[in-house]
Amino acid sequence: MKTLRALTASYLLLVSIAHAQKEHSLPKDLPPYGPVAPLKTPTVKTLQLDNGLTVWLVAREGFPKVALTVAVRGGLAADPKDRPGLAEVLAKTLTQGTKTRTARQVAEQFQFVGGDLSARAGQDAIFVSTSVLAEKFNQVLPLLADVVTNANFPDAEVKIAKSNVANSLRSRESQPGFLANRALAKVMFGDHPYSVIAPTQSSIEQTTPEDLRREFARRLQPKQAVLVVVGSFDATKAEASLRQAFQSWKAAGSESVPETPKPSIQPARAVYLVPRAGSVQTTLRVGAAGPERQAEDYEASEVANAIYGGMFGSRLVLNIREDKGYTYSPFSALRTYREAGYFATQADVRNAVTGATLNEIDYELNRMCTTGPSDTEMTQAKRYLVGNEAIGLQSGGGLAGELGRLWVDGLPPDNIAKESEKIDKSIAADVTAVAKKYLPAARSTVIAVGEEKVVREELQPFGMDIKPAP
Amino acid sequence: MASRLFLIVLLLASLASAQQWHPPTQTKKLSNGLVVVVSEDHSAPTIGICVTYGIGFRLEPEGRTGFAHLFEHMMFEGTPVSPKGVFDQVAESGGGFINGDTRYDYTEYIESASSAALDPLLWLEADRMKTLDFSEKNLENQRNVVEEEVRVNVMNQPYGLFYAIDLPGKAWDTYPNAHNFYGDFKDLDAANIKDVQTFYEQYYAPNNAVLAVVGDVKPEEVFEKAEKYFGALPQRKVPPKPDLIERPQASERRSTQEDKLATLPALGIGYRMPPKTPHESVVAAVTGELLHNGEASRLYQALVKEKQVAAEVSGGVNWPLGTFLEYSGPTLMTSFIIYPANLKGNDVMTAYDSVIESLAKIGPKAEELDRVRSKMRSDWYDQLEIPVSRASALGHAALLDGDPMRVYSVPDELNKVTADEVRAFAAKYLVKNNRTIIDRVPAAKSSTPDSKDGKQ
Repeated sequence: MKTLRALTASYLLLVSIAHAQKEHSLPKDLPPYGPVAPLKTPTVKTLQLDNGLTVWLVAREGFPKVALTVAVRGGLAADPKDRPGLAEVLAKTLTQGTKTRTARQVAEQFQFVGGDLSARAGQDAIFVSTSVLAEKFNQVLPLLADVVTNANFPDAEVKIAKSNVANSLRSRESQPGFLANRALAKVMFGDHPYSVIAPTQSSIEQTTPEDLRREFARRLQPKQAVLVVVGSFDATKAEASLRQAFQSWKAAGSESVPETPKPSIQPARAVYLVPRAGSVQTTLRVGAAGPERQAEDYEASEVANAIYGGMFGSRLVLNIREDKGYTYSPFSALRTYREAGYFATQADVRNAVTGATLNEIDYELNRMCTTGPSDTEMTQAKRYLVGNEAIGLQSGGGLAGELGRLWVDGLPPDNIAKESEKIDKSIAADVTAVAKKYLPAARSTVIAVGEEKVVREELQPFGMDIKPAP
Repeated sequence: MASRLFLIVLLLASLASAQQWHPPTQTKKLSNGLVVVVSEDHSAPTIGICVTYGIGFRLEPEGRTGFAHLFEHMMFEGTPVSPKGVFDQVAESGGGFINGDTRYDYTEYIESASSAALDPLLWLEADRMKTLDFSEKNLENQRNVVEEEVRVNVMNQPYGLFYAIDLPGKAWDTYPNAHNFYGDFKDLDAANIKDVQTFYEQYYAPNNAVLAVVGDVKPEEVFEKAEKYFGALPQRKVPPKPDLIERPQASERRSTQEDKLATLPALGIGYRMPPKTPHESVVAAVTGELLHNGEASRLYQALVKEKQVAAEVSGGVNWPLGTFLEYSGPTLMTSFIIYPANLKGNDVMTAYDSVIESLAKIGPKAEELDRVRSKMRSDWYDQLEIPVSRASALGHAALLDGDPMRVYSVPDELNKVTADEVRAFAAKYLVKNNRTIIDRVPAAKSSTPDSKDGKQ
């Protein structure tokens, strides 16, 4: 045992709910909000095993399940240049057998404890997760430890997984949303490793079991991993069981995953076209630089995003959906990785209103810079963000996933409370400042997936270059 | 000997505790017929609210396909005293969100928020159970939004949800069960404000609804508030449910479709399930999960792993439009299989049939049944974990099964299913004469894509 540190005494967060003002005059008989109970943020016990594995535990009574996530540094951004997207194949094959269990035995034994074992590659990490019945918690620890320690990538399983990933890629390539997101990442990040969100057919084809074993050894190391456990368990007993299960995990290689360099995001003001014959809609994505999660202005940027297009009551949704009916699915999000962040606006719109929609998106982006948020917008956005964070952490899986992401981003568990406090303290001037820094339409870039002729005709009046997506 | 005895004691203890998760839940019926269900849970200062109405796709009028769902959108368009936008503003400023969902036999409206927002949210739910702002302008706006929803989820997507829309369309013979629930554009275009009014008056009555509240609340407090806000709403006469029973299927139904957007072919297979009865519907569910749920399932192991004739397999009873209990009329056990481009649908069906035949002949092993039930119990708990989804589950069970507490008895019901019942169920219902198959293949590249929007 090296360190044992408990983050106790739940961080209490007091947020006042002011009654939303004007904008919509509220019904005169509408009862007011009741007294606000403080939000409870989770009590996370942190420890580190002798082999370097970080462990974050949240024991809570009631719901009879336990959620587990192992996050290891080294995701898509850590892939070798000549094997883009290899992390996805690694995640798919990681669960397909160990030195002592076949792929089928792994699947069946997880099913017996009530879980699915899923492994997913993000930009900065691979996440191995499951959620099991609390009464079978003790049985899942050795199983999960076996997978992350002893996965052995049998030839036959690698062959099947490669074929499935290849087919899955073909299938994703028929979905407009995937084509748009893939193009957006390339435009935003250029040559930087964050530009890759999926493998290519040729990288899948070239991947060998040896590649996977080498990358497994380089990434699946206890000193660059966290185990997060959330749910109904006895903390003292669990600590002993997980030490027993995970202490024999030793790094198979000496090489480890290097830091990802910070990208500089300066997308060109242009339309990047992905032609898709037969499209009855144009799938639009508009990208703009944003802060990473550790940045000083991250929280103000979340508030700006909520007001611009992140909430249902946001300017963009009220405009292009609730007023104009151009789209079902307008939305904006601040997407963050460990070393970067960007704003992504999305809207799938019928062909005939492609240009009209982009015009409104540009308008709302600029309006964020020119017309500061009202008090109502500020209250609504802050309450929405703090409240929905709390709602997202109600489930064990939600909390385990969020803690895993924080660890990968280099942030401590109490960041959950700190972020909410900073959001609550942000003021309209902060929001306008980040809007001016990130959101001017002139600094954004446009991806359009759809009928080539429609996109060209509809977007020609904007005067931007319309070029093939990289 | 001593250790063996000890183990047995432990095993009994774990079985007992496994069945005991049953959060406190109470039900009361108001004099106007509104059923109110409350489940107290103070693990977070949040609440989940669900109002479920006993109206879904099945009962939408002929010539108005997609109307139940279009109507759902109109429930967010305001009332005479609470204009469009207020509900969202109050929910979001109360630290939450609102949404709605239309299915075959119910339509639900949900809110998730800070417990401080309980009063205004209940007031707003009661307000839209009183009357709506029947606005032509808002109907036109939401008609456009819904048509974009159909484009983004159906017309512009590979496979176009054919396993959820076209498959029931071919498997059933009567309008309520067979029509396109997302709606033909000509029907959506024809819908008028009079339709909205009539539908509202017929089905959106307190005596056709369940209010479920879960989270940081006291039951007495919620019952009192429900009485205060909903108690004065008048009961209304709800049309009797029509006969939804279908005549037996005579033979297997097979067809082929072309897909302009897909790159890989896919199969949709639907078996008609027997009318919903308490025990047999759970046997059906276990059968469905044993075949489809996860990498350990029989179809995944046989088709994806052993024979490698499929890339992806998913499905189950009432899939993908709800859990295995969330229906109250004819439903299918559906399989959706994406397969490699170099194979033919029949190659996949041969492998599929041998899985079904073996289950019908030999049935599951005890160990297999055991782990499938573990997984099902675990998945079942998931939907009861957070307040808003528990409120949904309680509301649906109250409405569809007449008893919200059914959600807590499912783990016990799963344990009563035997291997032989699963075998017999497969032998009786998973037969060729009882199924419909659609083979959906990518359109030949040479064909001219019809890129023109349906309506511009």
